[in-house]
Amino acid sequence: MVSDVIELSELEHDALTEVVNIGVSRAAASLRKMVGHQVLLSVPAVEIVTRQKAGVLLGERESNGLVAVEQNFSGAFAGRAMLIFPQAHSLALARAVAGDEISNEELADLEQEALAETGNVILNSCLATMANMLKRPLTMSIPTVNKGDASTLFSEPVKDDEDGPVLFLYINFSIHQRDLRGYIAMMMDMPSMHSLKDLLAEFIRQVVGDQE
Amino acid sequence: MPNSSDRWSATRSKPARVLQFRNRDGPKAVTAEPPSLASTDDKHSLLGQLRERLNISLLAAGAAGSWDWDISRNQLYLDDRMAALYGIDPAEADAGLATSIFFKAIYPGDANRIRIAVAGLLHGAELFFKTYRIITSDDQVCWVEAHGRCHFDAAGRPERFSGILVDVTERHRVEERLRIAQSAGGIGTFEHIPGHATVMVSHEFCRLLGLNSADVLPVVTINRLVKEGCPPLLEMGRQQGEDLTYSEIGVRRADNGEERWLARRGEAVRDVEGGGVRFIGVIYDVTESKRVEDALRHLNDTLEQRVEREIAERLQIEEALRQAQKMEAVGQLTGGIAHDFNNLLTVILGNVDMARSRLGNSGDERIERALANAQKGAERASALTQRLLAFSRRQPLAPKKILVSRLLQGMAELISRSLGETVILKTETTPDLWTVEADPNQLENAILNLAVNGRDAMDGSGTLTLTAANIPSGELLPSGEIASRDYLMLSVTDTGSGMSQEAVDRAFEPFFTTKEVGKGTGLGLSMVYGFVKQSGGDIHISSRLREGTTVCLYLPRAGDASADLSDQIIPGEQPSSLNETVLVVEDDEDVRQFAVECLLELGYQVIQAAGGREALSLLIERQEDVQLLVTDVVMPGLSGRQLAEAAQQLNPSLPILYVSGYPRDVILQDGRVKEGVELLSKPFTQQALAAKVRELLDQSVSVEV
Amino acid sequence: MSVTVLVVDDSKLARINAGKALNQLQPDWRRVEAASAAEALAVIEREPVDVALVDFNMEEKDGLALAAEIREAHPVMPIAIITANIQDEIISRAREINASFVAKPLTAEGLQGFVSGAALRLRAKS
Repeated sequence: MVSDVIELSELEHDALTEVVNIGVSRAAASLRKMVGHQVLLSVPAVEIVTRQKAGVLLGERESNGLVAVEQNFSGAFAGRAMLIFPQAHSLALARAVAGDEISNEELADLEQEALAETGNVILNSCLATMANMLKRPLTMSIPTVNKGDASTLFSEPVKDDEDGPVLFLYINFSIHQRDLRGYIAMMMDMPSMHSLKDLLAEFIRQVVGDQE
Repeated sequence: MPNSSDRWSATRSKPARVLQFRNRDGPKAVTAEPPSLASTDDKHSLLGQLRERLNISLLAAGAAGSWDWDISRNQLYLDDRMAALYGIDPAEADAGLATSIFFKAIYPGDANRIRIAVAGLLHGAELFFKTYRIITSDDQVCWVEAHGRCHFDAAGRPERFSGILVDVTERHRVEERLRIAQSAGGIGTFEHIPGHATVMVSHEFCRLLGLNSADVLPVVTINRLVKEGCPPLLEMGRQQGEDLTYSEIGVRRADNGEERWLARRGEAVRDVEGGGVRFIGVIYDVTESKRVEDALRHLNDTLEQRVEREIAERLQIEEALRQAQKMEAVGQLTGGIAHDFNNLLTVILGNVDMARSRLGNSGDERIERALANAQKGAERASALTQRLLAFSRRQPLAPKKILVSRLLQGMAELISRSLGETVILKTETTPDLWTVEADPNQLENAILNLAVNGRDAMDGSGTLTLTAANIPSGELLPSGEIASRDYLMLSVTDTGSGMSQEAVDRAFEPFFTTKEVGKGTGLGLSMVYGFVKQSGGDIHISSRLREGTTVCLYLPRAGDASADLSDQIIPGEQPSSLNETVLVVEDDEDVRQFAVECLLELGYQVIQAAGGREALSLLIERQEDVQLLVTDVVMPGLSGRQLAEAAQQLNPSLPILYVSGYPRDVILQDGRVKEGVELLSKPFTQQALAAKVRELLDQSVSVEV
Repeated sequence: MSVTVLVVDDSKLARINAGKALNQLQPDWRRVEAASAAEALAVIEREPVDVALVDFNMEEKDGLALAAEIREAHPVMPIAIITANIQDEIISRAREINASFVAKPLTAEGLQGFVSGAALRLRAKS
């Protein structure tokens, strides 16, 4: 889909989808290893939208409270990556990644931290893969866990007073036998979005040029 | 020369690669140890067997070919079928090719997309699942689906990228047809495995629900759109084995909140690993047919009611028509009676009048009193017939332009006197009232009549309000009709006892009265009705019991000319005694006799005729002698009007006086007396005849001079 | 001789996972845990450590910096950088300080290469 914030060519969009896809398949593999269950992943739908629209898109799918594990990244492009899932699933997710060996009390203590670590692994897998693809290193922050709803999660800008675009990836992951699903979103500022577009163009040039 | 098995093994240091093909999806294959082999011969035969088995299973899987991309060595290997598809010598393909060959046969429009995807693989994506076109060695375009997987070394670095191609040209065509069928037919599909929180959906599915396009949606998101009281679109905990029965489900679209009805049907398919089921189904919009169905049901349910209402409406219209017809019939009847009655009264009045003047002062006082009583009675009877004529819209009207505000001013004293001291009179007029064209005397009569009616309804005390206002065309009249022209509305409102609807309905009927016997004739409103209708206007009563009544008169607005309110000059107070010759034409012997005698007594020369033809021959005979023609209007043979026309041809300056009790259609045009025509209504008195005759003779003299 | 392995990760869950994986591969090894770089350095100060698994993404001092410090004092200690941040840049930085790179999430399979190499080196040393 052509974004209403920044124009990507069809190939750039393909490339972005592919880059995201790589990151996400890596993230899915990570998640699979963590929970030891079949993880169904959708082919990521990539859209570049305003923060407001991202709130609407997510709100359309999730009306209840949400949890977001957030990690800021900086480098050639900067922004915030978010792993978002329904708050009601938070304990189940913690249980899925912590395993069945630990007791409920232990899990309750561990919940917040388990979510942070899950987010850390998934977002890092995803971002690191993208960085490798685009050949630009990214620095990732320590993950934080935030609660809110579809509109509030996107309300805090990456930089002050900027309605920066959101690279909104719907990756619905659902885990068999556990009622779990989630989304990954990346908020970026406008300069980063332009850098990303340039990097995608470079990536395409290399790929298409290299192999001809 | 080594056989192909030799080369296969020679080019590959790890036989595990072959195992990878067999166990494409088993990650363990990557790390599987090569089978320990006793001798080279064994090795060859085992590899041969493995290759054979591989080929069989690939064929069984419908594979059009398979490839193996050695990332570390930068070599591409194709199997025989894929080599054939690409038009490459199988031997070369088996020996290893440049990796760029992979893209060689790809349709140019798809090549870059696939290059990008392969680049993704080489950078660490695990799965490769793409559909694209290739151009085969015999120049056929063929759709393929590539299922590939990247294998990683122990350090997690991509090592090989291998997979199979499946020819999906036919499937692609079917899918395309299905896609078109779905979008053209507005059919959304879904596939749901019970127990999963998400469901696979088609874009049309999303569109039907007003959601942004997605391939997978949470079940709760979909069910949240379902209206209360409807079953969920997807049931999380559905038990195995039951098909999805047809159901109609109300939803509220996510994008605009519009309420729609969707039909859902589907089947349970038992092919999920572990013997589970998945539900495959469709939804489509049935809002329109549902609406039609509902409307039809509603129509059926309310049929009786609607028939009743229709009948009631029809009855009402019939009643109104009946009422109008009745009024018309009564009007005809009363008009007819009044006409004959007027002739009789003319004779009675005339003769009593004459008898009294002959008797003079010398007579018996008792005779004189009896004659006076007879005259009074006859005059009252005459007044009654005037009202009847007024109701039947047959009274001769002399319309003039009237400023209603001035007319009301002039009447104020008369009305307040009629009302008495205990009734308050209010007059409310707006400035710039339009002028109307009507007979001022009759309008005064009408207003007075209504005022008196109001007074009687208030039983002596209350407020009577006269209002006048402009009603421009297009405004809604109380009758419910739209005013088709400009009207002046004149209303009389009392605070009296009011009338029942039944009384309102019948109020204009002659002799209908709510007053006690002897208190009214029941002709007042009938007269007003007839007058207003004859003047091209309308009348409306609204009334509430114990609150009062308002009667509104709607009179058409006059043309531009300014109102002429000069009082009519009443000519000739005293009958002059002159000797002009008057021709009297009247078919009623008694009336003619009376008229002739009157005129003779006044000193005129009189010649007479009993009909039009006779009169005409007299006129021709004694043309120059006749100075005035007095003629009845309705006569057998030549009518008064035809006679008048013939007479004016003989002598254009001959004045003509019509005498009639039945002037309609004859001398009235649009309910008014024709210009230049004088009319004396029957019954008439000697004095009235004398005055009219003198007036006409004097006018004609002045014209001649 | 018993082997002491130091697990440094600010995530308790990650430490539990590392423990599980190590338990599968080398049940005899003694595990010491640290939740930060500072804690880790304190442990090394206090007792002999043979092997270190160091998380990269930690507050204050990251895993690579910590590993570099440890490397200065212990030139041959087998050290693994454990992270989900699989960027080429991180991997090459790990190599520069002669540390192995193991991707998160940690599994016995993923850790096997490093652990067997470390065991081999420790045997050779002793």
